[in-house]
This record gives sequence, structure tokens and C-alpha cells, in this order.
Amino acid sequence: MSTTTTAVGVVGAVAPVTRRVRAYFAPVDRVAGVPTVFDAAQMGTFALSAPPAPWVDLGWCSGFVRKSATKVVTLTTGAPAVVQSQVRTEVEATVQFEFESWGKLQLALAAGSQQMNLLQTAVNAAANGSGGVAGAAVPLVAGSTATSLNVGAAAARFQVGELVAVDEDYVAQVGFVGSGVSAAYVSSPASVANDINYVRRVSLNVGRVVAIAGGVLQLGGALLAGAPPSGMQVSPLVGFVDREGGGFFQEWSGLFVMDGEQGDRVLYYYPRLQAMQGSAEMVKALAGPLEQVALAGAFRALPVKDANDGETVLCFRSYLPGAMRAV
Amino acid sequence: MQNARDTFYVTLRDRLAAVNPARTMVLRGVTRPGVLVEENELASAAQPANVFCLHWTGLSVNAQGALPLVAMSCEIQYATDGDAGNGGMDRGRLLSAMDAELVAAVSAAPQNTVKMNYVASAGGSGLAPVAMATNVFWGDVVFGAAVVNAERLERVATVEVFCYQEAGEL
Repeated sequence: MSTTTTAVGVVGAVAPVTRRVRAYFAPVDRVAGVPTVFDAAQMGTFALSAPPAPWVDLGWCSGFVRKSATKVVTLTTGAPAVVQSQVRTEVEATVQFEFESWGKLQLALAAGSQQMNLLQTAVNAAANGSGGVAGAAVPLVAGSTATSLNVGAAAARFQVGELVAVDEDYVAQVGFVGSGVSAAYVSSPASVANDINYVRRVSLNVGRVVAIAGGVLQLGGALLAGAPPSGMQVSPLVGFVDREGGGFFQEWSGLFVMDGEQGDRVLYYYPRLQAMQGSAEMVKALAGPLEQVALAGAFRALPVKDANDGETVLCFRSYLPGAMRAV
Repeated sequence: MQNARDTFYVTLRDRLAAVNPARTMVLRGVTRPGVLVEENELASAAQPANVFCLHWTGLSVNAQGALPLVAMSCEIQYATDGDAGNGGMDRGRLLSAMDAELVAAVSAAPQNTVKMNYVASAGGSGLAPVAMATNVFWGDVVFGAAVVNAERLERVATVEVFCYQEAGEL
């Protein structure tokens, strides 16, 4: 028995028309040097509001500009010299844009270096630019999830609306620290004054308390590192701070998606991005004295090897054509 | 182009009806959502109150691509006298409500939809409209200033609507 397939015509391929760029974050395993892989062949059609794990939505961004700084030069022979071939002498790529929202993750990525949490200070703590010595943290008890923190009777110390950092104590670790995402690099315990709260000070594992009941702090969103194990502690914080200077480079896997109006999609996947400038803002005038301040980020792409052919590459651009478009 | 106009109208009508099902009008004896296309109705100089009236105005075509890209301006006029029971003193609030309904309908994602051909389904034929091969898409709504006309508050908002002219489509 034969199968008949009805032939249908294709529509002319037109240039994508897009209106906005959606950005997504995924962590890079800094110890192993392994980025999060995005496979457009398997995951390219995800709904913008529901990225595949472990990708995290960074929201819309504007002013998206990517640049290739790859240098191609000619090889010439003879007199007069005649171009015989070309070679690449340098491969480099950068991307810059502005985040439309200010969140911990956006601030941390756009900052040139460590991005710290302003932990609530201990009583009479000496003043310090990135926050004084923090007050005592509250230990988690068993039963916490990515969106609820079981702190038992200590829940009375928290208030609805409070920001909290959830992470392990600093106990002389050397190397990358921070749960879920490497948030800083510690070269020696002395360099961080052996501060038991140092990991929570730099951690990206933060949330906002939206309800308190039965000794459990309910968070407004899931923690980046997922369900915290017992042994981690909770520190209340008042905000975030970054600095010009510092020795650390945040590194992340970036994904940028442009949805076309004809059902097509362009995806830019950067396996490894590092900030290439210090903290900066882009000011957009509204009216009168009012200005909207967007977080400006500029990033340099670092290389990975493509498993298909072993080529060293910096980024991947994928195009998923709309249905029945000519190719 | 007419298919794109019809598609945008039907989409906007359905979205506005979903946002505020109570905004209805009676036209030629039929109760329907409070949105109409002026050129599809009997010519009249009167602007009905509390109803969105669509006027297709500007038109341009870029024929350089694989398919001609058509840009059309849709002016949406609306007005309110306020509620008689309130002596019209709520006309600002009612105009503001219409502003919000229009934003919700036009700016809701996705701001595109499959272009439909309604020719065969017109006139109560019972036939379903035919889905075409490309999408109609549009920008955000741009509001003109509110205009005071005696006891009436009026506004004109504009939406740029785009489509591709498909092969054989008139």
C-alpha cells in the first residue's frame, strides 16, 4: 500500500522581522571549565517564557549588538603580489546590550567583577563600602525546597518582603565559591578575613520572602541552586553592590533569542561569556528630569570546541525558518 | 491587503471582546462587540460613543524582497460622553478605560496572527475562513492627544499593521 503525500507550495523566504531580544543565562562549571550546552536542534523551539533547564530567563534586552573581531588576512605571492589564499589570524567576538530589568543575576553578569550582597550588618559593625561585618546567619533545618526555606522557630527573625541569601558557610575554602553559580574566587582564607558569611556575601543564590508560615519562609521565585541542603544558612540582605576593580571575572553561558513575526526564530548561543567592561548604565530620557537607567553589559566570548568537527569557535547562530518557507 | 485588514480587525475585535465583554454595540439590529471598521459600514458622519472605530489610512509597499512587504496605518477613533447617570463627570475615566482596553488588546503577545481569507465565509455562507501562508503583524499602539468636543472626549490611536503580499493575492 503506497502513501500519498499532497504537495504544497512554499512561500518566499523573507528577512526576519523581530521586535525584541530575550536573554537567558546558564552557569559555567568554572572548576571543570565546562559551559552549559544549548542544542538548537533539540531545544530551539522552546516557549520564550519556559526555557529548558538549566537556562534561566534574564528578560528582554535592548540595544543588542554583536560584533565579530575576527581578522582575515591574505597570503600573497609573486611580484606584483597576487592574493593566493586567506587565513584567519585572530578569532574574537563580543556582544553588548542593555538589560531591561535590574535583578541580582543581571547585576552580577553586567558587573565587571564580583557582585556582592549587602548583608544586614551586625550591631555596631564598622562601616565598609561593600557592607560591614554581617550579623549571624540562620541555619536551615531539613525540608527546604527551592522556593521554601525551613528555618523553624527562627522564622520570627524574618519579615515578609525581606531579601535573603542562602548558601554555605565559608570555612577556609580556596577556589571558586557560590552554590549554583561560581560567584567569586577565593585565593586564601586570609584574603576574605575568614568571614563565615563570605560565600553568602557573593552568592547568586538569593530570593525574596513573600510569606512566612509554620517556620517556613516562602520565596517569590526558585533559588538558582535549587533545593538547599541542611547545613546551609540564610542571611538577610538589603540590596546588592558591585565595584570598579576586583580580580574576578564572571563567566556564563548566554543565549539570545529573536522571534520572527513569520514564525521563524534566530538564536545566538555563546557558550562562554565574560564581562569586558566595568559596571555601566545606559540612560534613556523619559520626560523632564526623568530618566530610565538600563544596565549596560558588554561581553567577550571565549572559545569552546565543537564536538562535530573539533573546530574552536566562540558562538553559534541558529536559524529556524518559519513553516513552509523556501530555503 | 484586504485579507490582512480583515484579519487584524477580527483579531482586535476578539481580543477587545475578551478584555471587556460588556463593551457591545447594536448595529443594524445586531448586538456585537463594540468595534467596527468604518469603511465596512454605511457611510455616516456620526461617531458612535464608547465604540472603537477603525479607519485604514496610510499604505506603503516595499517590493524589494522575496514577497512585497505591505505597511498599513490603522487609525482607531473612540469617544465617550461619560455616563449620563453621573452627569458625564466620569468621561475621563471611561476614556482611560478604553485606552487600557486598547493597550491590552494590541500589545498582548503575540503581536502577530496567521493571515486569513474571509471572502468565502462572508455573508453567512457557513464556510470557514481559509488560513493563508504568512502572518499579519503589528506594532504598539500610538495614542494621539485627547480632544474635547463639547461634552465629549475623543481620541485617535494609531497602529501600524504589516503583512506580506502572497503570490496571487489581491
